[in-house]
Amino acid sequence: MTEKPKVGVYVCHCGINISSTVDVDAVSEYAQKLPNVEVARTYSYMCSDPGQVLIKNDIRELGLNRVVVASCSPRMHEPTFRKAIKEAGVNPFFLEMANIREQCSWVHEEIEEGTAKAKKLVGAAVAKARLLEALESKEVDAEPAALVIGAGIAGIQASLDIADAGFKVYLVEKTPSVGGRMAQLDKTFPTLDCSACILTPKMVDCASHPNIELLSYSEVEEITGFIGNFDVKVRKKARYVDFDKCTGCGDCAAACRVKDRFPSEFDQGMGKRSAIYLPFPQAVPAKYTIDAENCLFLSKGKCGKNPKCQEVCGAEAINFEQQDEMVEFKVGAVIVATGFDTFDASRKPEYGYADYPNVITGMEMERLVSASGPTGGKVKIFNGKEEIEPKEIAFIKCVGSRDKSVGNEYCSRVCCMYVAKQAHLLRDKMPDANIRVYYMDVRAFGKGFEEFYDRVRRENVRYIRGNPSEIFKRGDKLVVKVEDTLTATPLEDEVDLVVLGVGLEPRADMREVMDLLRLSQSPDRFFLEAHPKLRPVDTATEGVFLAGCCQGPKDIPDTVAQAKGAASSAMIPLARGKVTIGAQVASVNEATCRGCSFCVSICPYTAIEMVTVNRFGHEVEVARVNEALCKGCGSCSAACLSDSIQPKSFRDRQILPQIAALGVLK
Amino acid sequence: MELEQLQKTAAEVADREDVKYVIGWKKGSYGYRVAPGFIEDAAGAAELIFSPLCTANLATYLTLVEKLPVPRGQEADDRKVAVMVKGCDSRAVAQLLVEKGIGREEVVVIGCPCPGVVDPELLAEKYPETEETVEIKWTEDGFLLVRGEEEIEISRDELLAEKCRLCRYPNPVISDVMLGEPVETRELVEDEGVAEIENRDVDERAAYWEEQFAKCVRCYSCRNVCPLCYCQDCILDRLNPTWVNRAVNFSENTAFNIARAFHLAGRCIECGECERVCPANIPLGRLNRKLAREVRDKYGFEPGVDPEAEPFQASFKPDDPEDFIL
Amino acid sequence: MSATFEPNIVAFLCNWCSYAGADLAGTSRERYPANLQIIRVMCSGRVNPLYVMNALQQGADGVLVSGCHPGDCHYMEGNYYARRRLGMLKDLMEFIGVDPRRFHMSWVSASEGHKWKEVVEKTVEDAREAGPFEGFRRRQIDW
Repeated sequence: MTEKPKVGVYVCHCGINISSTVDVDAVSEYAQKLPNVEVARTYSYMCSDPGQVLIKNDIRELGLNRVVVASCSPRMHEPTFRKAIKEAGVNPFFLEMANIREQCSWVHEEIEEGTAKAKKLVGAAVAKARLLEALESKEVDAEPAALVIGAGIAGIQASLDIADAGFKVYLVEKTPSVGGRMAQLDKTFPTLDCSACILTPKMVDCASHPNIELLSYSEVEEITGFIGNFDVKVRKKARYVDFDKCTGCGDCAAACRVKDRFPSEFDQGMGKRSAIYLPFPQAVPAKYTIDAENCLFLSKGKCGKNPKCQEVCGAEAINFEQQDEMVEFKVGAVIVATGFDTFDASRKPEYGYADYPNVITGMEMERLVSASGPTGGKVKIFNGKEEIEPKEIAFIKCVGSRDKSVGNEYCSRVCCMYVAKQAHLLRDKMPDANIRVYYMDVRAFGKGFEEFYDRVRRENVRYIRGNPSEIFKRGDKLVVKVEDTLTATPLEDEVDLVVLGVGLEPRADMREVMDLLRLSQSPDRFFLEAHPKLRPVDTATEGVFLAGCCQGPKDIPDTVAQAKGAASSAMIPLARGKVTIGAQVASVNEATCRGCSFCVSICPYTAIEMVTVNRFGHEVEVARVNEALCKGCGSCSAACLSDSIQPKSFRDRQILPQIAALGVLK
Repeated sequence: MELEQLQKTAAEVADREDVKYVIGWKKGSYGYRVAPGFIEDAAGAAELIFSPLCTANLATYLTLVEKLPVPRGQEADDRKVAVMVKGCDSRAVAQLLVEKGIGREEVVVIGCPCPGVVDPELLAEKYPETEETVEIKWTEDGFLLVRGEEEIEISRDELLAEKCRLCRYPNPVISDVMLGEPVETRELVEDEGVAEIENRDVDERAAYWEEQFAKCVRCYSCRNVCPLCYCQDCILDRLNPTWVNRAVNFSENTAFNIARAFHLAGRCIECGECERVCPANIPLGRLNRKLAREVRDKYGFEPGVDPEAEPFQASFKPDDPEDFIL
Repeated sequence: MSATFEPNIVAFLCNWCSYAGADLAGTSRERYPANLQIIRVMCSGRVNPLYVMNALQQGADGVLVSGCHPGDCHYMEGNYYARRRLGMLKDLMEFIGVDPRRFHMSWVSASEGHKWKEVVEKTVEDAREAGPFEGFRRRQIDW
């Protein structure tokens, strides 16, 4: 237990990366003389196989029990050397690294100063290594189930994959139906598949899958716990319709006293629905929901003599007494697939979206061209005076994207192609229309995108490079004021319809999910992934993964690919059935803890709780760490006045000698 | 406040079955001395006094009491402790509640509105102690020294303790029983002691504190008397790791004093006990009050006024000042 | 003593932002003075303010603590606690006559290699101007 530390110090040349600015031999000689150092060596590449063998042999032959490697950043090779010494029988946490490359040889020029600093860093590493402690990683069981938040195409796909692999999935959707944004689209670019045709089978699958428990019209209220063991509370909002009795016949909606009075969310407000409604005909589950805000009976307490819906419902499914219901369950992993909002075009007042009925957004155009849309697929637009079939149509791209003035610097990645697709669909319906697209750049980067863009241009859709400055009314027409920047010609283009190619934005309600799961935002305000390149579906919270547009704008194939990625990542702990808990966690000296619970207030992971212990016959409160929740940040420790809570490997008694070692060599 | 009322209340509380003892002030061995009295029954209550000499913050004894091992077969005595508190002392109780140093159910707080106590050093200097029995009382606006047959009127400003000149809470912020009527809160005055040091340049400040800390004999009285320094095992006593070497020299003394003052940041309730007991007369109150003022002005926080508050050192605000950050 | 005084700086960097930023400065081959040595901690919230006192006592002429920008902490809130604690310590140190140029705190993200270089330069330059720390430095070090 308290064997004498025998330290081996290994100084890496890293080719000439280190040795050109640090005299590695001098460092090694210096290290040799430090207390408890048994051996100090140099080698050209410590991380190479022979380098590791060198360490392992010394461990076996010289009985080393601590290892210091002076080389690159521990962020780079700490795992490598931990593994190496573990293989030679030394606890992997008996390793300390001195960063003499990134933080020494690469940033200094003179060999004298580089060498002097390297000596100090090695000295500090040895000082700490002598006092390191053996740590063990622990394993706990993982619940073989997953929670998926959001049932758009990302959530649906992730749920189906996990469920198909044999794990239980709880799919939680805020709105009454699954399907999300994709369900609202008409055709998909560049293949022109009918969106509903490819999506609805998946929607039906996920509702009928034996492993998927679909919680529609529900919201996650609370998530506690950690990877493998999340406790989830979900609020199933009252639909005021008995889920099991409702047959989805629709008699209620037809009979509703306020029939077709309210803007349909699904149709972007262009169509109307009743107070009792199905969001759209293919909705899954095909169960009606009463909108309590607009229902006469629920909001005013009176709906004629009797509510009409109740009168006509043959299944007797209407239940005005229904209450929200709380559901609790346990999962091992969470996938966040909460999607996006489209940019609110009224934030660009120069485009007159709020003023002119014939300035519409791309999403509204989707509903307008859709055969299931409010006009049955006929492109009719009210121009302020009468309903017309537009002849002159202008698209404007990058509305709310690549625009610092609205705070969105990023490219929304889908607008170039959906605009091309909509231009194509309009061309199909209206061979005589004049269609032009105002653009900054055309980014047709995906599979089949450039070909599709080319095809649309050949269909006599004019692409004019220019970012319109203003849209205003002149007679019955709208005037798009713009400069054609390729010919430097100012234009005042008179049109009947303007379609704004609005971009994608983070959801307005994303803060709720952030708080639930302690997620962060990247500068573009979408959810932050753990690493932009190597861990694109992970988050900083272990066991929580991202799928789809909540992480950043993307098209359907990318969304599906990411959803499948998130699903397979989430399944790792589920399939293993176990999760490993970090070893570098905080620990409490219960004998000195004074029970002030500062640490409890500080811990962002609620990993510390107060427990009552018996101290010589007295009941006293002391802090106790849940090692599964602790991330080892040590914030608790810096506030502990009696130094009773300490993060392992970063204890005061391990850090103070480092400080001393850096000062003593002055 | 009438002495009679105080003694009567103390007697009643001491006789309560759920109360272990009442901690109050009693006359000390001689002269101006006042000692803590631990009153276990009604009879003992006759000893208790409350006068301008009652400077000691008795809240210290709430946590100072050693929890001896309970013999096998017996149960710990978990009766309440009653304590008499002035305004400043009551803040220590409130802060102890914040930090769970004691539980609300463990203590009975007897509040004593306080017109301000004397500075014992000043008193002894101006009116040296004699063999005669002495007594000091509060008058309308000052003190009355009764020494044998002699009665001396002393103005408030002449003898008032520094902490009382700066006091903003003369009335207890928390109490179960309140003795007498609340006293008037006086107008705030500038903390000249702190300002005087702040106005020096950095080298002069260093020289000032070097002179002060060099005097420190590391008796740890400041720590021991403090109602909020109540760790059973203080880090400044510890050898592993060694925050402060045992050697008594300027370097270690300074480290000791920095650590002590810093541990009280956002916790110190300005009762001034550390300074009063310092045998080297180091103006420790200035260190504490400087931090207390920064906490108040920059962070809008005051310790020991709300037993439900979040502890300052264990909380933050997103808009805490950060003008010092590069 | 040589013509220009070379201060000795001890820096505490959080693993996720500032330490990574310092690594990036190396990868980008930024050049900065060799007077500053880094001690890695997992979070700036780990830095017990008394480390600053201890470093000065044990031979440092200046101390730097660096963490993630507010809102970016890998552990969500650690840097907020660090900011409050170290802000208080800075006030105390200045009050007892420690030159404010000896203690700095910075926010350096993993992508701010160049900012790290600037922070080091500023810290070293300030400590150089403040001169050797005699103050309450330990005369004998016996660890």
